[in-house]
Amino acid sequence: MSETLLIIEDNPQNLYMMRFLLEKSGFTIIDAENGRIGIDMALKHKPKAILLDIQLPEMDGYAVAERLKTYPELSDIPIIAVTSYAMMGDRERILAAGAIGYIEKPIDPETFVSEIQRYL
Amino acid sequence: MNDNNSPSCCSKFRPCPVIINILVILVFSCHGAPAVFAGDRVVTVGVYENAPKIFTAESGKPSGIFVDIIENIAKTEGWDLRYVSGTWGQGLDRVQKGEIDLMPDVAYTSDRSRIYAFHKVPVLSSWYQVYAPEKNRIQTILDLNGKRILVLERSVQQEAFTRLSKGFGLNMTLISVPDYDTMFETVAKGDADAAITNRFYGMMHAKQFGLKDTAVIFEPSDLFFAAPKNGDDHILTVIDEYLDDLKQDHASIYYQSLKRWSSEDVQFKLPEWVKNAGIALVVFLLMSLAGGILLKRQVNARTRSLSHRNAQMTIMDRTLRAAATERYVPAILENLLQGALDLTGVESGVLCLSDPETKGMSLSAVRNVSGKMAAQLKNNAGRMNGCFSGCALDSGKPSILRDNNAADTPAAQPSSDEEGFGFHASFPLKVKDEIIAILCIFSHTGIRPDQQSMDLVEDICSTVAMAIQNARLFEQAKHHEEKLEQKVTEQTAELKVAMEQAMAADRLKSAFLATMSHELRTPLNSIIGFTGIMLQGLAGPLNEEQHKQLSMVQGSSRHLLALINDVLDISKIEAGQLNLSVSSFTLKDSIEKMVKLVSPPAEAKGIALRMKMDENVDTVTTDQRRLEQVILNLLNNAVKFTESGEVSILCRRDHDHYRISVSDTGIGIKPEEITGLFQPFHQIDTGLSRKHEGTGLGLSICRKLITMMNGTIDVQSNWGKGSTFTVRLPAA
Repeated sequence: MSETLLIIEDNPQNLYMMRFLLEKSGFTIIDAENGRIGIDMALKHKPKAILLDIQLPEMDGYAVAERLKTYPELSDIPIIAVTSYAMMGDRERILAAGAIGYIEKPIDPETFVSEIQRYL
Repeated sequence: MNDNNSPSCCSKFRPCPVIINILVILVFSCHGAPAVFAGDRVVTVGVYENAPKIFTAESGKPSGIFVDIIENIAKTEGWDLRYVSGTWGQGLDRVQKGEIDLMPDVAYTSDRSRIYAFHKVPVLSSWYQVYAPEKNRIQTILDLNGKRILVLERSVQQEAFTRLSKGFGLNMTLISVPDYDTMFETVAKGDADAAITNRFYGMMHAKQFGLKDTAVIFEPSDLFFAAPKNGDDHILTVIDEYLDDLKQDHASIYYQSLKRWSSEDVQFKLPEWVKNAGIALVVFLLMSLAGGILLKRQVNARTRSLSHRNAQMTIMDRTLRAAATERYVPAILENLLQGALDLTGVESGVLCLSDPETKGMSLSAVRNVSGKMAAQLKNNAGRMNGCFSGCALDSGKPSILRDNNAADTPAAQPSSDEEGFGFHASFPLKVKDEIIAILCIFSHTGIRPDQQSMDLVEDICSTVAMAIQNARLFEQAKHHEEKLEQKVTEQTAELKVAMEQAMAADRLKSAFLATMSHELRTPLNSIIGFTGIMLQGLAGPLNEEQHKQLSMVQGSSRHLLALINDVLDISKIEAGQLNLSVSSFTLKDSIEKMVKLVSPPAEAKGIALRMKMDENVDTVTTDQRRLEQVILNLLNNAVKFTESGEVSILCRRDHDHYRISVSDTGIGIKPEEITGLFQPFHQIDTGLSRKHEGTGLGLSICRKLITMMNGTIDVQSNWGKGSTFTVRLPAA
């Protein structure tokens, strides 16, 4: 059975790209368009890892990461932040909020999957 | 005591009709005689023994020059004279206590004038003289040294002689004696060496006691009746009136008395030459009497004038002092007006002040002016020509009118018809040649200020004019200052608003750039990402042409992304929002990493990449990611602008800093282009920029970042031969 990854991302193109690349590499992808749904899905599916966009509507990525870490059953699931160059300097902030890794947009299709696999 | 001398002196006098008259009066007065003299008043007179001026005759009746005179006055005035005998000292005490109305034969001194009241016309003038037996050989004052000298107690001569002898440094014993007779008796007996008496007594009695007059004469004085201080001045006034009249008439009782009590007797005893000398003396006495009166009047007049002058100076001082310190114009004017009135003694005045802008006069200060006149002045102040003040206004000089009936100017018109003042003066207050105010003073009473007062008023006017000008300048300066302050406050407020607006705009710009950057980047991520996926063949195989074109899409997208990133960097740096994330790292590793990144394009162009690092190159503490960004930028540029040859990077440690140099054998930079090289959006040569893609922001960002790291970046270049960019960073 393939490993399930949760992508929390509001941009359909980015979501599609990540899903395409990861599914090609054999992962099962579930997704959420905002943090609230993302947390529900994480609790329900207990994914192998969570790819979390920082700039999200309603609840931003920092708040989502902190909320996810409050659930003991989720505390072991690695969170990988995916965000843009514009937010440089926020690397420390998202790591402090609970993410274990950080991938900068735009994603490089040649290296993206291997970077994800590094954190699993 | 009052009788102890009488027998000898009175025996020399013969009764005469005058005395009978006096006796008659005395008899009446002694009995009160109210029926005869209606409105009688009792006047008590002290008597002591100092013949021939005042003494008690053998009959027990008071006699002498003073008695003759006062009885003459009493007869006409209907006074009831009562005599109170005693010593000189008792008499003085009585008059001081008010127990008697008059004490005769009192010399005027300033000390006594504080205790007693005096009339003004002296009864007699006298002086003091030293008498001694011939054998004592006293001729000058120096002969008195070591002698015992008798002097009348509490007398003027006691004090004066003490002063006189001190002046000569003499050492003598002064013995006070209550009366002159005792004095001469004592000296005659040899119990004292000399006696001091007045010249009347001495002249009359010296021979009788075997004494001789000496050349020691001092303290000429005027003799008066003294009255109690704060008593009835009427008696003294009456005495003066009579004395004036008596002295003018040579047949009067005054001269009769003088003749009877002094010269006659002396004449009887003395040889002819002495008689002549006596006449000369009398003439001299009269002359000195007249001279004394004249002198006294002059002194009084002069004293009055001096005291007036002194009062004026005080007013001047007060007025000018106030003008010098006061800054408020109306207060200066009030003060001037008051000063002018005080100086001249007139009761009314007005002050008109010109308006600095319209030059029109307006009423500014008023004293004792009727309501009607003030109203007229107020209405007319603006057009003063024609009125009296107008004269001063026209001529610019003080204008004085002493009697409005004799006005030869069109003067005094605004108000004189009914007001009718007898004196009117106007003074212009001038600064340079401009009249800034007019002072008018006028009087309805008979006051006519003298020229001196007018001159003083003119003086203060010129000083006060300056004071007004100063006060106005001060007010102007203050006004300007306030305006300036207000302007500064307004402008500061405006600047604050502008600054807040600018800051708001700046925040908006930063927010806009951040948002725009994100919004541009998100679709760009898709373009770059999907292009990459397709070029990898993950979405299916591509033919050669498709691959080529997609590569172009990818290149352009990446350039666009770099541009966006650079713009964002610049705006962040300029907004001060870019913070360095400082850590210690191995410099060598970072450089090697960056060299690796540029090796594919260098290889592609056939350019050699060389790297040389000193062994002592170790760790550096700064923002790793940003330093790598700079190094990569310099390496990329070097590769980009070099067609053949090599690109080398050199790193060495110089004492406390690292030096990183990136050299190439490229096209180089023209000297005139070096200056603008590190400016944003600068690209050398538009022609080249087409060939060599770039944002034009790279070097500008590099310099800003290195500056933030407390380092420097500079360039050396030979056009056509190559360039070297050198970064220096603190090693610590």
